[in-house]
Amino acid sequence: MSETLKLTDEEIIDRVRSNERDLYSVIIERYKNKLLRYAINLVHDNDHANHIVQDSFIKGYINLNGFNTKKKFSSWIYRIVHNEAMNVVKKYQKEVPILDDFDFESEEDTLKKFEQKETAVYVEKCLSSMPLIYSEPLSLYYLDDKSYEEISDILRIPMGTVAIRISRAKKLMRNICQKN
Amino acid sequence: MSKELKNITDNIMNQIHDEKIKMHSRIYFIIGSILTFAGLVSSAVISVFLVGLIRFSLRSHGPMAGYRLDQILSGLPWWTPTLAIIGLVVGIWLLRKYDFSYKINFKVIIVGFILAVIVGGWVIDSIGLNDILTRRGPMQGMMRQYLNDNSIQRGPGWNRK
Repeated sequence: MSETLKLTDEEIIDRVRSNERDLYSVIIERYKNKLLRYAINLVHDNDHANHIVQDSFIKGYINLNGFNTKKKFSSWIYRIVHNEAMNVVKKYQKEVPILDDFDFESEEDTLKKFEQKETAVYVEKCLSSMPLIYSEPLSLYYLDDKSYEEISDILRIPMGTVAIRISRAKKLMRNICQKN
Repeated sequence: MSKELKNITDNIMNQIHDEKIKMHSRIYFIIGSILTFAGLVSSAVISVFLVGLIRFSLRSHGPMAGYRLDQILSGLPWWTPTLAIIGLVVGIWLLRKYDFSYKINFKVIIVGFILAVIVGGWVIDSIGLNDILTRRGPMQGMMRQYLNDNSIQRGPGWNRK
């Protein structure tokens, strides 16, 4: 098992496709927390986000043979989550609740972690007050550590547009967070 | 952490083991790509021919603009643009369905497609390929029908093989 943990996503996918289906669980474990946070930032609802993440992993598995292993798996799975989340956003456009008390898994319980977590919650609240076209690239860049190129792949927008949206999002963030 | 999230791995892996969810085979994606490509190519060919036909029709009806427009509208084989539009829509839908994970700029595809069709139609008509197609090519039957319906006089080389 420790050997498989050293493998890249793309190598694992190759093995899953050649009948080592159990290895898909490694992929799920690697991504489920990140994807859940991403989905929550998009839909602001824990239940919807859970379903989005689960459905995305299922869709990912079904379409695994359509994945090009020369490209990044993370961008591919984030794109699926984005699509699923957009479907939910369109469906429940009028009832988008603000997230109040969602807690993420944390093994450490130090004061520093607590402060970081508080900051993260604060940032997430600010993000939820912003229009989606700005909050999404900003959260991908800062919370998910994605590069401009990856964000461009996930959102299917040119890199220049990613840069502009992130820049505008930062200004918006400053205004919104200062008001709060 | 929510309970549901903890169960996501188990839920999915159980469904995989019970074969409730199965991977689409590679052939599924290959066929999808071929169909998409074939759909786009056929709609492009039809559209190019249509542009050529419009230019041909404009030439064959003389200088009266209103008359020419009426002739084009009344004699236009409407199934061809309909088929082209359906082909384009289905092609893009298939592209989105089969290639949902990669960045594709559909605006560029559509604009490129339309430009290619117009330029292709103009070039085909200008170099006379349109005339050759009407005499020998696969569009011969349709073109004959169009010319007969619109009482357009055929040139001296019509029956030349």
